[in-house]
Amino acid sequence: MILQNKMCAERKAKLNAIKNHPYFGFVVITFLMLIVQLLRVSGLDIPVVLLRAFGFTMIYIIIALGFSILLGYGGLASLGTAGFVGVGTYVVGYLTNQFEMSIFLIVLITIVGAVVIGTIVGFISLRIEGMYLAIITLGLSEILKEVFKNATTITNGTNGLSLGTIVIFKQAIELNHNAIFIVIALIMLFIMIITLNLMKSPTGRALLAMRNSQSAAQAMGVSIFKYRLLAFITSTVYALLGGVLYMTYIGFSIPSTWSLGFSLNILAAVIVGGSQSIYGIVLGTFMIFGLNLAVLQQIPLFVENPAISVVFNGFLIIAVIMFYPGGLIRLINSMNYKIKTNYQLWKKKRRAYIYGDDPE
Amino acid sequence: MATILSSVKVWYLSKRLISHETKRNFNKNFLPIKKTELIENFNKKIELLELKKKNELLPNEISAGIQSDFLKREFETAIQELEEKYYWKNRALVQTLKRKNIQSDEELKKLVEEKQVLLDEIKNKYYPEEINKDQKEEFVAKCVAIEESYAKKAEELTLKHNAKLEEIEAKTNHAIEMRDAKISEIKKQLAALDVKVDKGILAEGELLKLEDLSMHFGGLKAVDKLSFTVKEGEIFGLIGPNGAGKTTVFNCITRFYKPTSGKMHFKNKINNTVDLNELVVHNIIREGITRTFQNVEMIWELNILENLLVAAHTEYRSGFFGHLFNSRLLRHEEVVIKSKAYKILTDLDLLQYAYQYPMGLPYGILKKIELARTLMVNPKLIILDEPAAGLNDVETDALAKTIHKIREEYNTTIFLVEHDMGLVMEICDTVCAISFGKKLAIGTPKEIQNSKVVREAYLGGE
Repeated sequence: MILQNKMCAERKAKLNAIKNHPYFGFVVITFLMLIVQLLRVSGLDIPVVLLRAFGFTMIYIIIALGFSILLGYGGLASLGTAGFVGVGTYVVGYLTNQFEMSIFLIVLITIVGAVVIGTIVGFISLRIEGMYLAIITLGLSEILKEVFKNATTITNGTNGLSLGTIVIFKQAIELNHNAIFIVIALIMLFIMIITLNLMKSPTGRALLAMRNSQSAAQAMGVSIFKYRLLAFITSTVYALLGGVLYMTYIGFSIPSTWSLGFSLNILAAVIVGGSQSIYGIVLGTFMIFGLNLAVLQQIPLFVENPAISVVFNGFLIIAVIMFYPGGLIRLINSMNYKIKTNYQLWKKKRRAYIYGDDPE
Repeated sequence: MATILSSVKVWYLSKRLISHETKRNFNKNFLPIKKTELIENFNKKIELLELKKKNELLPNEISAGIQSDFLKREFETAIQELEEKYYWKNRALVQTLKRKNIQSDEELKKLVEEKQVLLDEIKNKYYPEEINKDQKEEFVAKCVAIEESYAKKAEELTLKHNAKLEEIEAKTNHAIEMRDAKISEIKKQLAALDVKVDKGILAEGELLKLEDLSMHFGGLKAVDKLSFTVKEGEIFGLIGPNGAGKTTVFNCITRFYKPTSGKMHFKNKINNTVDLNELVVHNIIREGITRTFQNVEMIWELNILENLLVAAHTEYRSGFFGHLFNSRLLRHEEVVIKSKAYKILTDLDLLQYAYQYPMGLPYGILKKIELARTLMVNPKLIILDEPAAGLNDVETDALAKTIHKIREEYNTTIFLVEHDMGLVMEICDTVCAISFGKKLAIGTPKEIQNSKVVREAYLGGE
């Protein structure tokens, strides 16, 4: 009997090890995102709006994670995200439509392009800091937007570019939305894991050191040049990857999407969620991008007056920023702490109630 | 041309030497940690095996009716558990009765009866009825077979474990030997070249030499033709009134400022003289110079242990992609560097703060953590910028002790700027006094105390 208890404890410890594994939460998040899609695949009638809400949220989570490395870890503010995401969408659109390239090759080309763009912006950032850097990147983004509008042979101008059939290994395949949704979820999981590794690694710590005090970081052997470049390149790669996923999922890209509003939304998602926590960013992104489509659009009041949903969202953001400057994750953490302590108190009281006070 | 070529060669060879040395040290530190980890894993496996064996043996043993000590113990513990369970049940019942103000013996009696039934069950389980002799022998044979099989398994496990241990030991030792061979080879090559390049800049026992160092900010001469030498293993103090240019000297040595003119030479980790003017600010630490700051510069988002790990940034060999995918090399490195950090924290009595965040810790502790941070890379020279600023008398005394301890245990040289004259006179071997960027006097603390020039600088002339 006792032996069996011991074996049971062994099994429990194994279960706990899985539960406490750092990647467990990400798997749970991915599964939660997939639930709606899986229900639809199984035959339930789920509105497309709800599906799109989760699809968009996942793509934007990837972009926001890149941004958090830049802002939360590198301490560098950038407003050029929209432009970079736009570049990603047009690269995949143009290469697929014109040359019928394999999607894997296109992703590779995008990553190389992202490294080049990231290096250029990183070089700019070496001399400029803070607000000025944000303005410069904003300018870059606006330039890109104008290019999207006017380079009609590639981007089809203001009419928008729509994606043809995607090519996988030399033959064109019409992918349905369900498959792409699942692929996006898996890529999101992969990106989350990679980002966590990066944040907990010496690189992440060096970035934090740089953000806190440049002179101290340099004295500890952190090259400011190298790590600024690294932060920009990583975030640009994430942004362009997000663009590629966006194009494959929606199949349509128009220059007016890639304006300042998009960059600001990403910034808001990172700030609202908590700029250094992956869970926080997931929450923040869902709040900014997913909440309206997934939750509010199911309530008749907001469906009848779409303007109210925007106002409601705005007030929600203001409330979070006012009362929890550390982001939503801070709110969750403090709530978690309160619940835990209260539960323990309750347990103590309950024990005293059932068994009486200790005789000793 | 030849000199340039040889200097380039020296530079290249010294770079390689440093990298080889860090690799060797990593392997040396890694071996004992890996060994203990393996042994722990092995012990866990053996424990699990024992547990499984007992679990399999138990029914047979009971059936065979072997009244071993083991069975008795099992029985006793089972009874004990039951007793405890019924103690709590009893207490809960009494409490409810008390709360309702009822006194009823019936329920208590019921509880006792229930307990008795369970007791009988346990007794039956551990003392089963007699079975016939043939069956008994069969069960005994089964028991023996099970034990033998498990013994075989354990033996296999130990063999495997030993082989693994030996393999790892041999592998690491081989790696260390390889590194040693390469290091000695490079040292030979360097020795052949050194004579031409390193002529007479630094004498034996000298660590740092400044010659005519000047630093001008526009018209202001913050440091003016300052020259002194720091000997190996001493505690060197730089003093002077406010605005004398002490911190500027520090910033010149650590390359935060580029001096207007002057030479700075330093004997680095591999006893090779380097010109500090040729280095970039973030490469200073690789040569063996670490520094603290006047105001504590912490990384507030990381806990104290991770703060120390950041200071060991140059010790990591794994690259960006290794970090992305949490490679095996990175995990090994983290283990080694973390153990080093723990050692330093225990040495400086900071272990209790290891998992705390620096926000809210007292200033004295933060200063100590900065000191601990400098030790992470086995430095040759530690530069302390006003270590006692903002500390009270008790903390200053403790700091003096810590500085002495560091010098002796980590074989380093310490170079400090301080306003607290008591501390400087107590701990320094050599003191240099400067005023308005110019050297006033250099010597032992007593000589400086008696120097007329220094007194004038501090208290004003007549």
